[in-house]
Amino acid sequence: MTFDSIIGHDRQKEILRQALEHQRIAHAYLFEGPEGIGKRLVALALARALLCQNGSGCGDCAACRKVDHNNHPDIHILDAEGATIKIDQVRGLQKELALRPLEGRHKICLIDGAEHFNPAAANALLKTLEEPQPNTLIILLSSRPESLLATIRSRCQRLPFQRLPKQRLAEIISQRLDLSETEAAILAALSDGSFKKALGKDRELYLQRRRELIRSIAALSSGSIIPIFKLAEQLAGGKDQLTDILDIFQTFYRDLLLLKHGRPATDLVNLDLQEILTRQVDKETTEGLLQKLKALDAGRFYLQRNVNRQLAMEIMLMRMTAA
Amino acid sequence: MSYLVLARKWRPQLFADLIGQEHVSQTLMNAISADRVHHAFLFTGARGVGKTSAARIFAKALNCQQGPTTEPCGVCPSCVEITASQGIDVFEIDGASNTGVDDIRELRENIRYLPAQSRYKIFIIDEVHMLSINAFNALLKTLEEPPAHAKFIFATTEPHKIPITILSRCQRFDFRKIGLGPLQGHLRHIVTQENIQISDVGLSMVARSGGGSMRDALSTLDQVIAFCGEQIDDDSLQGLLGLVSRRILLDCIEAILTRDARQALAVVQRVDEHGHSFRQFCRQLVELVRALVILKVTDQPEDLLDYAEVELQELRSLATPVSLEDLHRLLSLLIRSEAELAVSNYPRLTMEMVLVKLASLPRGIEVASLVKKLEALERRLAGGGLPAPVSTPVPAATSAPAPSLDSPPPPAQGPELKKPEPAVAAAVDMGEKSWLGLVEFINQRRRPLGSRLEHGCLLLLKLPKLRIGFPRQYYNLLDNDLRDALEVLAREYFTSDVKVEFQLVNGERGTPPSLHEERVQLETDRQKKLKENAEQHPMVKTAVEIFGGTIEEIKPIDKGFV
Repeated sequence: MTFDSIIGHDRQKEILRQALEHQRIAHAYLFEGPEGIGKRLVALALARALLCQNGSGCGDCAACRKVDHNNHPDIHILDAEGATIKIDQVRGLQKELALRPLEGRHKICLIDGAEHFNPAAANALLKTLEEPQPNTLIILLSSRPESLLATIRSRCQRLPFQRLPKQRLAEIISQRLDLSETEAAILAALSDGSFKKALGKDRELYLQRRRELIRSIAALSSGSIIPIFKLAEQLAGGKDQLTDILDIFQTFYRDLLLLKHGRPATDLVNLDLQEILTRQVDKETTEGLLQKLKALDAGRFYLQRNVNRQLAMEIMLMRMTAA
Repeated sequence: MSYLVLARKWRPQLFADLIGQEHVSQTLMNAISADRVHHAFLFTGARGVGKTSAARIFAKALNCQQGPTTEPCGVCPSCVEITASQGIDVFEIDGASNTGVDDIRELRENIRYLPAQSRYKIFIIDEVHMLSINAFNALLKTLEEPPAHAKFIFATTEPHKIPITILSRCQRFDFRKIGLGPLQGHLRHIVTQENIQISDVGLSMVARSGGGSMRDALSTLDQVIAFCGEQIDDDSLQGLLGLVSRRILLDCIEAILTRDARQALAVVQRVDEHGHSFRQFCRQLVELVRALVILKVTDQPEDLLDYAEVELQELRSLATPVSLEDLHRLLSLLIRSEAELAVSNYPRLTMEMVLVKLASLPRGIEVASLVKKLEALERRLAGGGLPAPVSTPVPAATSAPAPSLDSPPPPAQGPELKKPEPAVAAAVDMGEKSWLGLVEFINQRRRPLGSRLEHGCLLLLKLPKLRIGFPRQYYNLLDNDLRDALEVLAREYFTSDVKVEFQLVNGERGTPPSLHEERVQLETDRQKKLKENAEQHPMVKTAVEIFGGTIEEIKPIDKGFV
C-alpha cells in the first residue's frame, strides 16, 4: 500500500509526504476521523515509506513486502483486547519499544482504536509517548479523539481525517460495483464517506429494503397503534442491521427537512423516492421533523445502552408518529 | 540522528526558560539560595505547562557540581547526565507504569544508600496520580522523614487523585496555564532560532490552538513546519489548523439572526464542501457569539476580544439589532450542540438540525421583563382598573373568618358586628377603595407598617387627604420616614396623590375604633356568645350540676359547631 493507491485524503497524505521529505516526522501521531475511511491504510503506508530499504516505499523490497504481509518485526500493532486496551498490553509494548529496531531503522507502533484505552493503560503510555527511544514512531488511530486523555492528545501531532466527498465516493462505487448513477449516489450518501460501509455486505439493505422501510414508516400515523407495534417488532428482530435502518430513517427525515427549506435535490439522499418525499413534505412541520429526528437519536442512544430493543423501538416510533 | 520534535528540542534547561511559571521558579530559586530546600515537592497543573521540565531543572540545580545553584551550569557531568536522562542519582520514575506497592518497596530499598557521585538522590515520579492506594501508603513514612540525601519531586495533572496524607507532606506548586502573550513570545523566539518565516497573525493562530499549553502549541507548530517548510503563509496555516474562514461564520450568524433557515443550510453545505469538521465549526461559532455578547455588554471590548478594529466594527453592526437574551439562547444551544456533535453519528445532520432550530426560534423575551409585565398586570387587576375579582375579597378578608366561625346564631351578633362596618364604609366610599383595603394592601407589602396602621383609627379619608389618629403609645413611634413610606404605598393603592397626616387621639369620644380594636371587640363578642351557648347547652348544664364545677374556658372544636 503506498500513498498513491489510497483514495482521497490528499491533504493528509501531502502533510505526511512533506514531513518525510523535510525529515520532520514526529515521534507520535494521532490520526483522528470517522471509522472505515482509511486511517489505518495511511498509517501502514507511512510505515512502509519509513521502513522501505529503498527509502521510497517501493513495494518490491523485502521490507515493503513484510509490511504488506503484516509480518514486519519492527511494526507493532495494538488492538483492543476485548472491550479495552489493557495496561499489560502497554507494558508489553514498552518492553518492545525499549529495544532497538531489528531490521529497519525505525520501530513503528500502531495503536488502533485508541479510544479503547482503559485509564490505567492510557496513563502508563504517557511517558513513553512523550519521550520514546530515538527512531520510534507511535501512531494512534481513533474515531473519537475527544474521549482520549487530554495528556495523550497533547503529546501527539494530530492529523484529522475527513470523510470522502460524496461525489468522489459515488464515482468509485459506480466503477467498482457496476451500479447506476442514482444507486451509486444513494449508496455513497448512506455510507457517509466510509468505504467499509459502502462496499460492505449491506448493499441489498441500502438499495432495495430501504424503499419498503421508508414507505412503511411514512405510512404510520399516531392513531394506528397496531401497525406501529408490528413495525417495531420487525425492526427489533434484525439486531445487526438495526442501527443501519435507523440511519436510513434519519436520511429520510433529513431529506424532508432539507426539502422544507428549499434545498436543491442534489443534497438529498433518497433520490429515487421523490414522490413520497414531495407528498410527505406538505404534511410535516419543521418543528415536527426536528422532534422526529430527536426521537431517532434517542432511540439510537437507548440501543447503545443495551436496553430491550423492541421496547425502545416501540417508544421511538410512538414518539415519532406523535410529533 | 532522528528528528526531535520542537517540544523536546526546546525543553527548558534553566529556570529562566520556564515560560509563564515565574511564581514557581522564583520560589524554588529562593529556596536554593536560602538553603531551605524541602525534601518533597508536588508539581501540578494542566498538560504541557512545564511540570516535568521544572522537575528536571530543579534536580540539575540541586546536583550541579558548582554547588546547589539557581543556575545549573549545564556542562558539568551531573548536568549533562540529567539532561540526557542518564543520571545515576536522579531517578525519573514513570508513576503510571510502576504503580504497585512492590515498586515503592524497591524504591525504599534503594533510598537507604548514599548517592553515587552527587549531592542528593532525587526521585522524580511523573504521573504520580496513578500510583495505587497501597503504593501511596507505603510511601508515607519515607516521604515524611527521608534520609538527608534524598529529595522527592512528584508531577501530575490530577492532584485530586492524590491522598491527603501525601499532599500534606509535600510542598505543592500549582503551574498556571500559559498566557497568550508569553506563549506567542516564546514561539517567536523559537521560529527565529529555527529560521522559519511566519507572520504574527499566523503565530497567534498557532498560539491560540495550544489553549494555554506550550506543548500543544509546539506540536501544532511542528506540524505546520512539516507541511509548509520554512515559509509559512496564513492561508495554508488556516487550512492546516482546520479553521473555518470568518466569512462563512459571519454568514451563518447572519442567517440565524435574520431567521433564514434556508441560508443557514446553504452555509452547512459550504462548510462540508470545504471539508471542515463540524465540531470545529461549531466551536468557532460559539467563539463568535461570545464576541457578540461581549460587545453587547461592555464598552471596551478590546481587552477581552482579540480582533482588529475593522472586524470589531463588522461584529458591532451584527450585534446591535439583537437582544442580549437572543444571544444567550444562541450561545447555550450552540454550546450544547458542540457536545452533541462529539458523539453524533451524523454530524452534518446534527449541525443542520441545530441551525434550523436556531433560525426558526421566535424572538426571545427576557424572563425578568416577562415577570415585570405580569406584575404590572397583576397590579392593574388589583388596583381596580377592571372590576377584578381580586379587589373584592380583600376588604372582606379581615371580617370574614370571624362570622364564619359562629354562624349558627347570626341574629344575636348581627347588630354588634354591623356597628363598625358602616362607620368605615361611610367614611370612605371611594369607588372600591377603602381604609380596610388600604391596610390590607400595606399588610401584604410592608407588614410592620401595616400592623401599626391597624392600631390607628381613620379620622378623615377624603383624597388627597388621609388623616389617621393614633393613641399616645403608637403616636410616639411615628416619624416622617414612616409617613413618606405610607404615602408612597397609599398612592400606589389609590392610584392618586395622597397626603397623610397623623393625629394624636386620647380615647376621646367620637373617634371611630381602630381596626385592632374592632377585631378585639369581635373576638370578645364571640367568646361571650360561645360561653352563653355553652352554658345553655343541656348537656353542659347537667354536667355542671352533677360535678358541681365551674366553666373555665370554652374552645370551639369545629367550625360552625359549638
